[in-house]
Amino acid sequence: MSLTQLRPTPQHAAPPPKPSRAKLWLYRFDTKATPYVFIAPFFVIFAIFGLFPIVYNGVVSLRNWRLTEPEKDGWAGFDNFSRLLSDSDFWNALYNTLGIFILSTVPQLLAALIIANLLNRKLRGQTFWRIGILLPYLTPVVASTLVFAVFFARDNGMANWLLSLVGYGQEQPLDWRASKWSSWIAIATMVNWKWIGYNALLYLSAMQAIPKDIYEAAAVDGAGPWRQLWRITVPMIQPVVVFTVILSTIGGLQLFNEPMMFDENPQSAGGGSAHQFQTIAQLIYKVGWKDLNLGYAAAISWALFLIILIVAGINATLTKRIGGDR
Amino acid sequence: MKHLGKSGLAAVAAAALLLSGCSGQSLEGNNDKAGEGAVTLKIAFWGDMGLDKLKTQYEAAHPNVKIVLNSGEYNAQHEDLQKKLVAGSGAPDISAIDEGFIVQFRSQADKFVNFMDKGGADYESKYLPWKWKQSLSADGKQIGLGTDVGGLAMCYRSDLFAKAGLPTDREAVSKLWTDWDSFINVGKQYTAKTGKKFIDSGTNMFNPVLSQQAVGFYDESEKLQMDGGPKVAFDVSMKAIDAGISANLASFQPNWDQGFKKDQFAVLACPAWMLGHIQDTAPEQKGKWDIAAIPGGGGNWGGSWWTIPSQGKNVDAAADFVKWLVAPEQQIEVFKTVGNLPSQPALYKDPAVLDYKKEFMSNAPTGQIFAATAEQLKPQYLGKKNGPTRVAVENVITQVQQGKLKSAAAWAEAVKQAEKASTS
Repeated sequence: MSLTQLRPTPQHAAPPPKPSRAKLWLYRFDTKATPYVFIAPFFVIFAIFGLFPIVYNGVVSLRNWRLTEPEKDGWAGFDNFSRLLSDSDFWNALYNTLGIFILSTVPQLLAALIIANLLNRKLRGQTFWRIGILLPYLTPVVASTLVFAVFFARDNGMANWLLSLVGYGQEQPLDWRASKWSSWIAIATMVNWKWIGYNALLYLSAMQAIPKDIYEAAAVDGAGPWRQLWRITVPMIQPVVVFTVILSTIGGLQLFNEPMMFDENPQSAGGGSAHQFQTIAQLIYKVGWKDLNLGYAAAISWALFLIILIVAGINATLTKRIGGDR
Repeated sequence: MKHLGKSGLAAVAAAALLLSGCSGQSLEGNNDKAGEGAVTLKIAFWGDMGLDKLKTQYEAAHPNVKIVLNSGEYNAQHEDLQKKLVAGSGAPDISAIDEGFIVQFRSQADKFVNFMDKGGADYESKYLPWKWKQSLSADGKQIGLGTDVGGLAMCYRSDLFAKAGLPTDREAVSKLWTDWDSFINVGKQYTAKTGKKFIDSGTNMFNPVLSQQAVGFYDESEKLQMDGGPKVAFDVSMKAIDAGISANLASFQPNWDQGFKKDQFAVLACPAWMLGHIQDTAPEQKGKWDIAAIPGGGGNWGGSWWTIPSQGKNVDAAADFVKWLVAPEQQIEVFKTVGNLPSQPALYKDPAVLDYKKEFMSNAPTGQIFAATAEQLKPQYLGKKNGPTRVAVENVITQVQQGKLKSAAAWAEAVKQAEKASTS
């Protein structure tokens, strides 16, 4: 700013030709508006592809919009939302989503922390290990989920073969999709497998910024590796921990691909024969494109948006507490 | 940060979409200018509907028409069409629609060209009456011209039957099961003898039996009628599951395809188009399959229509092509290439259909077999919520197969779920 203002001053000292109005306007435009023009593309694109869909979705959620009954078009007020409150499918999906979310997020972040801690030491073939843990993240989710669907198959599945080694399921092999607990574990396994390496790498990069002398001082004071991890490492990488917690909250609550492709009959989008593992994102898809009730689907989408905001907020506060504000 | 990254990605993707969209458009534009008054017709369908040869033939006869075939996955194509109809643009010029989705699109008839305006009334008498009615909207608009029907027969593995000491000749096998009870009894014999399961799934008993009933899930006033046809079909499927003859595999899924190869079931309710699927899934089983009559007489499963979304620019050219496609010569050509059974009964008397023998299915006369079942069918009204209701009841059957639900308690649950689906 100071630079741009410095230049005109000598001109003022020798006033001769008065700058034309147009020039003056251009000059003002240049200094005042240009920065906004430069950052505008992001906001314009966000408005088109981010903000507009959200607002439009809100409008749709207040309307009757059934593709099979075009004549019943019109405003519905809050009917879609009040229906949501008494819809057992919605509460079941919310329960499933939260259950799978806890089963996947907690072990995922803990394992990532421990792996990162291990990788933070001097190891042979350091780069190999670090790239190795990122490989699951690079695998397309559809490809890996298809492999897992076969892995958790009832007949001839590898998971059941492993169980049979310890003598389980000789009579009746475990049908992973049949009950809540087994299907949740299977889906959480897929999520964990994919994201542990990614989070571990984030933690690792943060850990490398911690000065070594702190650890040395702690070691001198008699703190073991475990204590060092929880008392030094975790508090010092706390911003990254908060970041990963929020990210996995958003990702976990929007879970769609894994339960969708794990299903025996993916096209029903039912998440199992009794909706054992139907997540909210799956329910939105089913209501919108299978039941063809777009208004109600929009209302569930908005509910999911609010739930994510709340859960992410709670998680962020909790993590900050754990991190070392004590 | 993450948020920014996401939007950035979206922007790039959007830009790429715009670019590719533009280039596609301009290319077509050039083509249009090249040939005077030339039109390009995009046709969306799934699997193989035997169009490759017909496309070249039509283009040779009509130099100003260019045909672009777009074959995709069955569900994805229907879903894509639905989205494009909502968006108001982007739909193909001609789209195939299957029986499983026709109700959904029939109730959006204003988004399709009404064949009644394109001289379609002359076609009514040519079609099986129920086929014509299925694509007719409540206010009398005809959204599509039928191409194939499924018919319904029972495919069986003659090699596995021989091992179990059952007859293998198709006449003799048909006599084994005149009704569904005797069918289940044959299954019990087979399972007792071989220790293997007989049918693929309880849902594949439910659906054929339901298609043989006079009234399906809904009557013509759109009221759910669970105590009629659905109860009969449900009881048959429960009997089969309780008899322990079901391999409990979900159709069209990887496990099911594996089941073919591992001989996990010996019979399969099959419409005409299923033959292609068996052939693709288990090509090494050539000559091991044969076709007998389905217990309980006729039936139908699947079959499609050619429709023209009205948002297209070349609806007249599209209508001409569809009319050409459903003409007898072309329908017979399709039957010979992929086995899809025509939906115009006059063709069932045609020697090309009558004398056709399918080599893969032990030279079974598929034309005769399937035509007979399609003609015997009692037409059934499919309600608006037929699809979701069927899925809900199938889910209950699956729960019984998974051992989560006792078959005695299953019917009450099925009624409950069907009622829920009917108000979804």
